[in-house]
Amino acid sequence: MNGQRPRLFMPALVGGTVAGVLSGIPFLNCLCCLWIIGGAALAAYLLVKDSPVALTSGDGALVGAFAGIVAAVVDSLLAIPFRSMNMAFTKRIFERLGEYLNEVPSQWNDWINRGTGPISIAWFFVSLLISAAIFAAFGALGGVLGMALFGKKTPPTAHGAPGPPQASPPPPPQS
Amino acid sequence: MRNERKIILIYVLTFLGILIWLGAIGLAPYLRSRGIGLFPFIYACFSPICHQNPSRSFHLFGFPLAVCARCLGIYAGILVGMVLYPFKRGFLSVRLPKITLFLAVSTPIGIDTAANVFALWSTSNPIRFVIGFLWGFILPFYFLTGLVELALHFHKN
Repeated sequence: MNGQRPRLFMPALVGGTVAGVLSGIPFLNCLCCLWIIGGAALAAYLLVKDSPVALTSGDGALVGAFAGIVAAVVDSLLAIPFRSMNMAFTKRIFERLGEYLNEVPSQWNDWINRGTGPISIAWFFVSLLISAAIFAAFGALGGVLGMALFGKKTPPTAHGAPGPPQASPPPPPQS
Repeated sequence: MRNERKIILIYVLTFLGILIWLGAIGLAPYLRSRGIGLFPFIYACFSPICHQNPSRSFHLFGFPLAVCARCLGIYAGILVGMVLYPFKRGFLSVRLPKITLFLAVSTPIGIDTAANVFALWSTSNPIRFVIGFLWGFILPFYFLTGLVELALHFHKN
């Protein structure tokens, strides 16, 4: 968190898009939250790469949280075309389970049938908000981890606050 | 002193968050077993971050939990890590733990996940849980440190 902080937008956009695409594609989403953490770590890496000064874990948390929000948007948009495919997959799993169980609870069928219907706009936005909150938390975690992995070291001061940046930017030209 | 109070508040809120998170994971199968209509909503909340494959999940009340065994292990690990966090680090430290520690605990989950994805072997749910737990345990030591640093920055400004 220094004076010459690089812009968060592009790293968050790139990291979030990668995370959102990978977590939205069926089969690839078997890695659960790891894509979000990975995408946020990528955002932190891009932030560090473009930064002339040493950044802190707080910077990582911030860019990671933004990357998580971007990932939630991308994931929700991708979910629209992939939804029926996912539900067909889930339906097959439940059919398999039905072979082992004597009686499949009626709620299961209700749940699946509800999932195959068209998405309401209200539900889309509610799920987007929930995803954004969850992805932002995972993104913040990924961003901090990314900063720990790729960040330049700052010597902490005696009272625990991060020290001054290692490299100072040149002074602005006098006009 | 004001900083410390703010940091403790962040800690308490995060701790409550993970408790609610774990509670919701167990609540979903309970509601489902009782036929209470809220359960699809809870399962849906967890669906973007977990594949929820029933065969890879622990069951409660006859129904799968809202997340798979590995994810449950990660969240359980986070909870235990959070309990130990103040004793290991105190509240004011903004120095991240050594990254070698993170890489060491990430190796088992990385290898096991890759091996399962590429069908090299199939791990049982209890082992998935333990591997996830090991990884989750270390995460609060990074996550909370980042949040604390962020809070101190905003406080300073």
